[in-house]
Amino acid sequence: MTPSIPRRAALLGGLAVPFLANATHAQAETIRIGTLTPQTGAGGAYGPPMVKAMRAVVDEVNAAGGVLGRKIELISEDDETNPDAGVRAARKLIDVNRVVAVLGTWASAVTTAVAPLCWENKVMLFTVSGGDGITRLPHQGYIIRTQPDSNLQSDRAVAFMLGQGARKVAYLSAQTPFAVSIYERHLQDLKAGGGQAVGNVIYDASKTSFRSEVDQVLKLQPDSLFLNSYQPDLLVLLRDLFRAGYDGRRYTLGYAANDKLIAALPAEVTEGLVSYAPSPDLDSPAFKQVQTVIGANPDPYSCQTFDHISMTLLAIAKAGTASGPAIHDAVRAIGNPAGTPVTSVTEGLKLLAAGKEINYSGASGPCKFTPIGDITGCKFRFDVVQKGQSKLLQLS
Amino acid sequence: MLIELLQVVLNGLLSGAQLAVPAIGFTTIYAVLRFPNFAVASHMTVGAYAGVLVNTQLGWPAGLALVAAFLVAGTVGVASDTLVLRRLRPSGPLTAAIGAAALGIVLENIVRFCFANDPRGFDLPVLRDWRVSLGALGQLRIGPQQTEAAAASLIAMAILFAFLAFTRSGRMMRAVADNPTLAALKGIDAQMVARRANFVGMGLAGFGGMLIGLDTSVDPLTGYRVVLPVFAAAVVGGLGSIPGAVAGAFVVGIGEEFSTIVLDPSYRTAVGFAAILLVLTLRPRGLLGERAL
Repeated sequence: MTPSIPRRAALLGGLAVPFLANATHAQAETIRIGTLTPQTGAGGAYGPPMVKAMRAVVDEVNAAGGVLGRKIELISEDDETNPDAGVRAARKLIDVNRVVAVLGTWASAVTTAVAPLCWENKVMLFTVSGGDGITRLPHQGYIIRTQPDSNLQSDRAVAFMLGQGARKVAYLSAQTPFAVSIYERHLQDLKAGGGQAVGNVIYDASKTSFRSEVDQVLKLQPDSLFLNSYQPDLLVLLRDLFRAGYDGRRYTLGYAANDKLIAALPAEVTEGLVSYAPSPDLDSPAFKQVQTVIGANPDPYSCQTFDHISMTLLAIAKAGTASGPAIHDAVRAIGNPAGTPVTSVTEGLKLLAAGKEINYSGASGPCKFTPIGDITGCKFRFDVVQKGQSKLLQLS
Repeated sequence: MLIELLQVVLNGLLSGAQLAVPAIGFTTIYAVLRFPNFAVASHMTVGAYAGVLVNTQLGWPAGLALVAAFLVAGTVGVASDTLVLRRLRPSGPLTAAIGAAALGIVLENIVRFCFANDPRGFDLPVLRDWRVSLGALGQLRIGPQQTEAAAASLIAMAILFAFLAFTRSGRMMRAVADNPTLAALKGIDAQMVARRANFVGMGLAGFGGMLIGLDTSVDPLTGYRVVLPVFAAAVVGGLGSIPGAVAGAFVVGIGEEFSTIVLDPSYRTAVGFAAILLVLTLRPRGLLGERAL
């Protein structure tokens, strides 16, 4: 009876050997980094350029010999702007591809869903999501966020609206985890500045008509509207507001009122629409590099993911090991104020290889973070649409 | 209060008219082929793209673009049935339904591959609403474009009813829908009827998709966003019943709008579907359906 066990074990062992050999071989060869971006769904317009920006950095670094003598392999997954799909994709990246970092999660709901997978597995997560709760998760330092949180964004937006004379602001908000928290922050900020928030109509973003919602919000007789929307629902809202004859001020978020939305609507519908967004550092050489990859007007997320991959690679080089904990420990050390200022990864890698300290700042600005992973400072831009063209109103 | 009621009923009628055309397409295919063809969503998207492309690239007016939307979506419908779904149908309605859902996702991604995710708008102005004064009651707001879209839906429905009632093809389709075995005994070619049902059904889906695109914009998810209310309309009306799909579309349209008076608009979809559960609990075969599901 006994011989059957060794035979079976031998068979199993024999089966396993090629896989093991393959795995160790691959690990010695390449450093694997995952990207998790919205290629489809409400954020689908942003994912592709975000990945393109990251791939440009990887290609440049690989052409210059890689990091620690190893090539970089970028594995890109689609989160479908959907937490379920995001978790499935993150599991694949972590369990199957064994990536050391996941870069680029966009929607706050997706980031919140995949974050625990990352910190449990000691994989670094770099995100562009603005939801406040994200950096307050018990992530033990495994989250780095390049997007300012929504409180900072709200404060800047309200200050701007008050400066333009808005006093009675009503809100139309897509149903998201932060539809209420953003409204409450605005309410508080407006009150402090002598204005008031008169109501928040929360709508189901998947609908193709918002006539009844528009009627409800206009009944509040606001002098300004704040549209807390995503691009597809903002398209419909702007049409329905125009049809209803509303010509007052309209404020919205930069990611919703992008060039593609402006191109898809007649000029009279978007005229005067003001949007705001955290801005990349327009004068930085890294920003210029993103421009050569993405085009003249790169969105802030592409700039941020450009920095995600740059920081990841520099942190690996600084730590001397390619692992989640190594990036976790070294990511703040590459922004050493005493080091040589660098904006290019290859330049930074050379300095690190020579044992020098570096102070990296990227396309989105200085890459410095609080202990919980929030970016410490950021520029904001306010744009207005005039005759179907977006014009910079203020950069501060 | 009365004026608000009138306004939401009006809004519901207009959005119901938009849902009715794709719901008819879905129910027509169900009536003849006896399976829920979930690929209707991507055919709506295909129709919307066909419409927006001939409108913006070739300068066709909206009316002609609607015809293009019908023809292109109908042709894609016949092709996808011939190439994919026909082979799955003999394995039963569940297999065919799952196959159709998969096919729909593939088609949606083909559209995405060809045209990217960017929204596309029709080359048409957005018009301000008419305001109709009702004396002491107040004002009603009516969208000229929604009214046109509703008129286009009614015309499409009238043509379909005439086709089914007065043409030989239409009568053959009804015969197969009523009793496939008897129709086969009479020598009606089931494959040909299936092709025609697909052409008409998916063509109507494309037509409805373009109407929704006219009102919003066109992107790869255009059909997917409205497909649940479309299914709901067909089911509430009674699957396989064309007048039922029309009635169901108005029930869903008005139900969803009505709920915004009572509850927060973010619950609109849930209230709409709760109404559907109620209808199906009281009348499992749907409003005008002949057979229980």
